[in-house]
Amino acid sequence: MADTATATPQVKEPLFGKKERKLITDPLNDNNPITVQVLGICSALAVTTQVYPSVVMSIAVVFVCAFSNLTTSLVRNHIPKQIRMIVQLVIIATLVTIVELVLKAFSYPVYKQLSVFIGLIITNCIIMGRLEAFALANKPWRSFLDGIGNGLGYGAILILVAVIREITGKGAIGGFAIFPQSFYDAGYFNNNLMVLPASALLVIGVLIWIQRSMYPKLVDVS
Amino acid sequence: MSTRYVVTFTLIMTFISAFILAGLFYATAPMAKKGEEVFNKRAILAAVGDYLPNPLSEMSDEEVLSLFEKNIEQVSLDMDGEKLTDITAVKIDLAQERKKPEADRQLPFFKYKGDGKTFYIMSMRGKGLWDDIWGNIAVESDLNTIAGASFDHKGETPGLGAEIKDSPKFSYNFIGKTLYDSNGNYDPVKVAKGAAKPNTNSVDGISGATITGDGVGDMVWVWLKFYEPYLNKLKSETKMGMK
Amino acid sequence: MDFINIVIKTAFIENLVLSYFFGMCSYLAVSKTVKTAFGLGMAVIFVLAITMPINWMINEYLLTEDIMGMDLTFLRFIMFIAVIASMVQLVEMVIEKFSPALYTALGIFLPLITVNCAILGGSLFMVSREYNMMETVAFGIGGGFGWFLAVVALAAIREKIRYSNVPPALRGLGMAFILTGLMGIAFMSLMGIDPAALGQ
Repeated sequence: MADTATATPQVKEPLFGKKERKLITDPLNDNNPITVQVLGICSALAVTTQVYPSVVMSIAVVFVCAFSNLTTSLVRNHIPKQIRMIVQLVIIATLVTIVELVLKAFSYPVYKQLSVFIGLIITNCIIMGRLEAFALANKPWRSFLDGIGNGLGYGAILILVAVIREITGKGAIGGFAIFPQSFYDAGYFNNNLMVLPASALLVIGVLIWIQRSMYPKLVDVS
Repeated sequence: MSTRYVVTFTLIMTFISAFILAGLFYATAPMAKKGEEVFNKRAILAAVGDYLPNPLSEMSDEEVLSLFEKNIEQVSLDMDGEKLTDITAVKIDLAQERKKPEADRQLPFFKYKGDGKTFYIMSMRGKGLWDDIWGNIAVESDLNTIAGASFDHKGETPGLGAEIKDSPKFSYNFIGKTLYDSNGNYDPVKVAKGAAKPNTNSVDGISGATITGDGVGDMVWVWLKFYEPYLNKLKSETKMGMK
Repeated sequence: MDFINIVIKTAFIENLVLSYFFGMCSYLAVSKTVKTAFGLGMAVIFVLAITMPINWMINEYLLTEDIMGMDLTFLRFIMFIAVIASMVQLVEMVIEKFSPALYTALGIFLPLITVNCAILGGSLFMVSREYNMMETVAFGIGGGFGWFLAVVALAAIREKIRYSNVPPALRGLGMAFILTGLMGIAFMSLMGIDPAALGQ
C-alpha cells in the first residue's frame, strides 16, 4: 500500500509514525468505512452519478469527519455521559453548518447543486461511528488523523462509484466525453441503467465482492 | 456527574456553537447574497448565451453584473400585461409568486440589447419530479421564435432530471422552436417522451426522467401564456411603429 | 395534495430507502432477520411521525428569517437534530420499559435511529418542499411505512437466501447491496402511478 506521509525523526510522540500512518491508510482498504464497516452509505450515494459533486461531497465529509473527531477528542474527558450523543450531534451539526455557510459564500452554484445532501452529512453514520469508536478514547492528533483517514476511505469509494457510473452511464468523466462520436456511430450506447439510483447499490455490491475475493479474511459468514 | 455540571456543560456548548455560527453567518451573508445575485443573473443571461460578447462561463462575476446593468432593461408586469413601477424585475421571487392566486401574480420580463439585436427573456417556475424547477426562455424580436433557454431545479436526481440543467443539449434543442403555430394559435414548444419527431415543435426528452420532462413542458405552456397579454401589446406597438 | 396521496407517494413511489438511500446503514445492519427488522421498522415509523410535526412547528415559528430582528435559519440543522436525538431517547426508554425482549434484540441499533438519514432527511424535505402541517404528518407516516416495508422485505429475502449457494465473497453485505439495488429497480416500476388518479 502506498505511503501517504514520511516519518519525522522525533522520538517522543512522532507526528507520522507507523501507527499514525496506519490510521490513514487502513480505512482506504482493510477497514474501509463503506465496504467493511458498512457505515455512511446513506444518501451521499445519490450524488455519485457524476464525478464532480462526488469530489465536493468527499471533501466536505473529510473536513467534517476530521474536525469533529478532533473537537470530540479535545473535550472527551469533560463530556457528561448522559448527554454524550447530543453533544456529538451538536458538534457535527455545527461543523456541517459551517460547511454549508462557506460553500454558500464561496461557491454558490455548488451549494445549489448539493444543498439537501450537505445537510445529510450530519446523519452520515461514519462520522458518528468514528466519534464513538475512536475519538472518545484517543488523543486529539491521532483522532484527527483517524478522521482524515476515514473521510478519505469514504471519499475513495464515492469517487470510484461515481467514475464507474459516469463512464458507463454517460460516457464521460467530470463532464468531458471520453468516447469519440465514431463509437456511437458504430452502435455503442450509454447504459441508462447506470444513472438510475439503484445502480449505485449494484456497483457497491460488486466492489465488495471483488474486495472480498482478493482479501478472504474480510468475508463474513452470515 | 451532577445535574448541575450537565446543565452548565450544555449551556456553554450551546453558547459556543451558536456564537461561532452566528458570527460566520453574518460574516458570509454579504458574499452569499452576491453569489446568489450573480447566480440568478447568469441564469437569465444564459437564455441569450449565444449572443453575448463572451461565453458566459468565461465571464467573471463583475463582468456578469456590469453586462446585466448595461444591456438589460427590466420590466415588471402584472397578469394583465400592465407595467408595474414599484418593483424591479430581478426582485420578483417566482417561488413566492407561484403560491399566490394566478390573478395576483407579478412577472419579471427582461429585454436584452446587444450587437444591434433585441431579445425578450421570460422567466418561469414549475414542478419537476421531486421539487421546483425553473427557467428562462428568450425569444427573438418577432416574439415567436425561441433564441435560447436555460433551466434549473431544486432537487432533481443528478444524472436524470438534473439533466435539464446539466446537459447543454437539452436547452440547445429549444432554439428555433416557436410559441405559436403557423396559424398564429398559441402552441408553444413541447418536451417529447424520448426522442422528438423531426420537424415538430418539440424537443427531445431525457431518458429516465419523463416526469421532469413533463414538468418542463407544463411549465413552459403555463408561464408563456401568462406573458401573452404583454407580448400582444408589444406586437401592436411594433405594428404601430411600422406604419 | 391531500393526505392519502402523500402517504401513498412517499411509501411506494418515492420510497425513502430505495429512491434516496435514506437510512441505509441501519437498514443493512438490522435486515438479517425479519424480527429485528420489524421492530426497528416500527420504531422508525414512530419516530418519523412524531419528530416531523415538532420540527415543522420549530421551523415555522422559530427559525423564520425575521424573528425579533434576527435571521435564525442557520440554526436549522442543530435544532432538528436535537429534537430527533431527544425523541429517540424517549422511544428507547419506552421500549425498554414495555418490551425488554425487543430492546435487547435491537441493541445498539436503536441509538442509531438518530443518525438514520431517513429521519433528518424527512425534516429537510419538509422544509424544502414547503409542506403544511397535515402534509408533514402524511409524509412522516408514509415515509416511515415505506422504510418499514423495504427493511422487512429485504430481511425476508435474506432469510431465504441463506439456503442458496451464493459465492463466498458475495455473502452477507455484498448480496444485501445487490438485492437492494434489484428491489429499487422493481419499485421504480411504481413510478408510473399517478397519485392524483389514485385519490379518486
